[in-house]
Amino acid sequence: MRAKWSLAVGGMSLFFLVAGAAQAAGNPVAGREKAYTCLGCHGVKGYRTMYPSYHVPLLGGQHAQYIVNALMEYKNGQRKMATMQAQAESLSKQDMEDIAAYFSQKKQ
Amino acid sequence: MKGLAVAVFTCGLAVASTQAWAIKHGDPVAGAKKAQTCFACHGKGGHSTNAMYPILAGQYADYIIRALHDYKDGIRQNPIMRGMAGSLSDKDIQDLAAYFSSQPTTLYTLKR
Repeated sequence: MRAKWSLAVGGMSLFFLVAGAAQAAGNPVAGREKAYTCLGCHGVKGYRTMYPSYHVPLLGGQHAQYIVNALMEYKNGQRKMATMQAQAESLSKQDMEDIAAYFSQKKQ
Repeated sequence: MKGLAVAVFTCGLAVASTQAWAIKHGDPVAGAKKAQTCFACHGKGGHSTNAMYPILAGQYADYIIRALHDYKDGIRQNPIMRGMAGSLSDKDIQDLAAYFSSQPTTLYTLKR
């Protein structure tokens, strides 16, 4: 009886954990809209920064959590690059999660 | 005959440019050996399955070089990566970038 009860509680907390994670994740449809500016560089194959010159990273199919972390790091100055700091400055956490959800989609 | 000459010339050019690329951008074979430590977080071949750590397989070599130098110089502040990149020489960085960028990838350029 007791084992059954704890199984039920365990199952329920697992459900809430999963539901919570799903809620925390961004919305890729909203992200598509918010990513308009990003795609000016990250949506151009082989696009390079001006100076110093190197390819802007491929972000399609990258992990969402990593993208959110990267944007947060730009926003709080842990990662320095003028263009990206200016972009991240104006983004809320929700914006970042939505954009990351869109970017992280597997290639169709 | 002319076709053959063109083919030989083209092959020669392709080999030469590949070598030039390797000299300039590092040696992927040497990079594979140096990359063993990276696999612990970034996955075998750079195919990370942990969402905290970026997929490196197929990423642009010059971007990886940039990132590693930025970690090394503290422009990108991350305690784990600073420790890792801090011990790498310029040649190590080029080799690692050559290796990861040459791996089959699931990354792609986003559509505008």
